[in-house]
Amino acid sequence: MQVNSNNFVSLAEIAIHNPELQDAVSDGTRRAYDKRANSMFADSNEQGEAMRHQAFEAKRRALRNLPDLLEKAESNLLSNGFKVLWAVDADEANRQVQAILKDHEASTVIKSKSMLTEEIGLNHILEDSDIRVVETDLGEYIIQLNNEPPSHIVAPVIHKTKAEIRDIFIREINMEYTDDAGEMVAYARKMLRRDFLNADVGISGGNFIIAETGSLGLVMNEGNGRMCTTMPNVHIALVGIEKVIENLEDYATLDQVLTRSGTGQNLTVYTNIINGPSRESEVDGPDEVYVIFVDNGRSEVYGTKYTEALSCIRCGACQNACPVYRSVGGHAYGWVYGGPIGAVLTPLYTGLENATPLPHASSLCGSCKQVCPVDIDLPRMLLDLRYDLVHEKVDNKWQLGLRGWAMGMQSPLLYGMGAKAARMGQKLMGDNMPGVLGNWTEYRDFPDFAPKSFHEMWQDRQKGKLQ
Amino acid sequence: MSSREKILGRLRAAQKPFTDIPPVTQPRHMVPDVVDMGPAELQARFMAELELLGCTIYRPSDNQDALDHIIAHIGDAKQVLSWDDAHLPVTGLSAALKEASIDVMPFNDGEAYVGITGADAALAATGSVIVSSGAGKFRTASLLPDIHIAIVDANKLVADFETWIANQREQGLSAFRESSNTTIITGPSKTADIAQILIKGAHGPRKLHVVLVNAAVS
Repeated sequence: MQVNSNNFVSLAEIAIHNPELQDAVSDGTRRAYDKRANSMFADSNEQGEAMRHQAFEAKRRALRNLPDLLEKAESNLLSNGFKVLWAVDADEANRQVQAILKDHEASTVIKSKSMLTEEIGLNHILEDSDIRVVETDLGEYIIQLNNEPPSHIVAPVIHKTKAEIRDIFIREINMEYTDDAGEMVAYARKMLRRDFLNADVGISGGNFIIAETGSLGLVMNEGNGRMCTTMPNVHIALVGIEKVIENLEDYATLDQVLTRSGTGQNLTVYTNIINGPSRESEVDGPDEVYVIFVDNGRSEVYGTKYTEALSCIRCGACQNACPVYRSVGGHAYGWVYGGPIGAVLTPLYTGLENATPLPHASSLCGSCKQVCPVDIDLPRMLLDLRYDLVHEKVDNKWQLGLRGWAMGMQSPLLYGMGAKAARMGQKLMGDNMPGVLGNWTEYRDFPDFAPKSFHEMWQDRQKGKLQ
Repeated sequence: MSSREKILGRLRAAQKPFTDIPPVTQPRHMVPDVVDMGPAELQARFMAELELLGCTIYRPSDNQDALDHIIAHIGDAKQVLSWDDAHLPVTGLSAALKEASIDVMPFNDGEAYVGITGADAALAATGSVIVSSGAGKFRTASLLPDIHIAIVDANKLVADFETWIANQREQGLSAFRESSNTTIITGPSKTADIAQILIKGAHGPRKLHVVLVNAAVS
């Protein structure tokens, strides 16, 4: 997916002036935030904190030995009958999927929700080669009909109201008018059922790869993911290399903190553990199952001060908790992941120069770290990214401004002149500051300077004393 | 150099992270209060959790009662998907279905209204039913129909996900590895993607009905 994160400010402005989005996002995030809190993670809940810590350790133990664990996972996946491929970047992953589809002469693909496939822009690549791609998670289905990317990790269409979704269904798939969400779901169920029964290939992501047993772990509520991994003859799972964990015990821990943090459920409706293709004695299930390990920027992050970003299990809790995300929604962040984790992952995966506003798109209130089921220190990384922006001279405007500021602050003469000039300037210009500073005062009042600075008053006082 | 070598090479060249994480101790259970429960308490908890999830439960008095109940629950539907008799904790279901002129359809029938499965285990803490795939235990029976009837043997009820894993490990993970697909089902299929309104029956069954056989009578 193309990166548009340098336009964060103008994208945020669009979102702030969209009343439907404002209603939908603030309502959706608040509810999800409360569900999580009610699900063992209220602030003072010791058990919740202990489980969070257990999950934190499980994920970091896995990352510590990532290369070895990937090899172990591969070898156990292979002995379970999976086919394993490795992709350095988006292009390679897309080509591998295309090649598999070609081998099987596939024309229709059903997909369950996968943020990684959004990263690599798989749908458009496949559609360009005349493959029909059907997103089957209800939220993803809706935004695919409306030709939009998802705006939230677990609730892709959190930015739309019921009425907007109704209108998309009427316009795109000829639904008869109804305001009943149940009828809308039933209609989508009917529309997608044919594709579930007839598609050639199913594509999914992967929540976890369990190295010890060579298993793919997938969690979902609607059952569409089970359809995608059961009905077609071929199943392809695209999985980030950071998704490997050690064993089933860690799966139990991580899966349960994931669902409680994401949707407040003890477990999602379907917790799937896939151990390879259908055995000979089985009548259903795919004959071939591929796991594609996708790097796409992850190995560059590994071993740096940002490594802990790789422990994210994609629950969306930091998005629900973030005052910035709650105000602007996910699309404003300009790439796949919005919210605090997106403000960290986007510069790391796509290059800091492509996402210079994102490290600043945070009030550093710390909510994101507090709700994170694996205790990722997002505020610390946002600060480090700001440091990198300056230190690596990525953001020159910012750096020039800071250098000017530093020069002024270090010289009493310059400081005094600057203060006088600012005071005079304000008298002349009124409340609207000139140039780039006008971006600030357009929406905010700039407080009046005092007629005299403290320094000047002090000097006057000293003079008075002397007299 | 292959992509595999490139990726692994980059990871190996990096500084090893998180070297201060301690080795694993005995992990905690997510829901600790179920761990020491006896069978009767587990059953009560299982039933309470199922109810919270919006599932319905029936405890038959004997095999005939179970069969009669299942036939009655199928109601007017004349087509079902069903696991083979050998994998159900009741005897004579296929004969009873035939008697009632209910057709057992092939696994890929997308129209069958009811799906009947057994369960490899059930979890009290979360009200979950575990189905693993295998010969005569196809996956679509718990997925395609509107109604899923899971016939659960109360003797297969365990405390929670963690206990189930510990039991698999005691058996050397052999049963676990044998199955290509293990699904822990917790309630009926649902979605809240439209404005957070909870709707049951997204793509899978909208109702999950548990017939609990060999249950302790309270």
